[in-house]
Amino acid sequence: MTPEPDLRDALLAAVPSLRAFAISLSGQVDRADDLVQDTLLRALSNLHRFERGTNLNAWLFTILRNLFHSEYRKRRREVEDPDGSYASRLKVQPEQGSRLDFEDFRSALAKLPSDQREALLLVGASGFSYEEAANICGCAVGTIKSRVNRARFRLASLLNVDDVDDLGPDSMTRAALQSSI
Amino acid sequence: MMGDNGNKLARLIPEASLGDQLASDPKLDTTSQKRIGDQLRAMYDELVQQPVPDRFKNLLEQLEKKDRETST
Repeated sequence: MTPEPDLRDALLAAVPSLRAFAISLSGQVDRADDLVQDTLLRALSNLHRFERGTNLNAWLFTILRNLFHSEYRKRRREVEDPDGSYASRLKVQPEQGSRLDFEDFRSALAKLPSDQREALLLVGASGFSYEEAANICGCAVGTIKSRVNRARFRLASLLNVDDVDDLGPDSMTRAALQSSI
Repeated sequence: MMGDNGNKLARLIPEASLGDQLASDPKLDTTSQKRIGDQLRAMYDELVQQPVPDRFKNLLEQLEKKDRETST
């Protein structure tokens, strides 16, 4: 199957967001790039299945997510990250200053269950609607909403534990958060 | 360990009861929610803005070239 020039451009244009998603999912840049490459190859050999006029990015994200999960089913022990190995692998070499800014956030993100992390990344970072995210993950919209909600809550409490003063000025909120955990 | 616990807790709630109202889920106040969202997007945008490695351009060019050669 040949990429027509405009399709090739569209695929290339999708690479930055696919990479960001893959890096955030897997915690490894090299692995993420392999995933993106496999996604592009899979997409090209299945172009006849893509419905023209529908969201190309959503289709590509679906492929990438499925590849990621089938790979992870083979390497089950890496799915969750109890010992923080995901977090320590997640070194993405942007400028020093900005990386340090995100260090706490990344390690908190790494502590989320993978289904919550994935839902939050799709909706909160990649800009998909709840409906699109539900399609990508093959689950109900309510499930996605619930996962996103839990992910946010969990992140807030993780970041709160690590750095109390950073969560926000409202101590009532903080007390409420802590008492409800 | 925490990840495992979180998963189990999440799975205690049957899928069928997960309506749009999320009655059983904890809710964040809007300030915290915004802070989390802002940090997430900032971290993610930094990844999105990284230059695309050449391997992807090369890959697509090669595929196109290969196909031109075989079809002509």
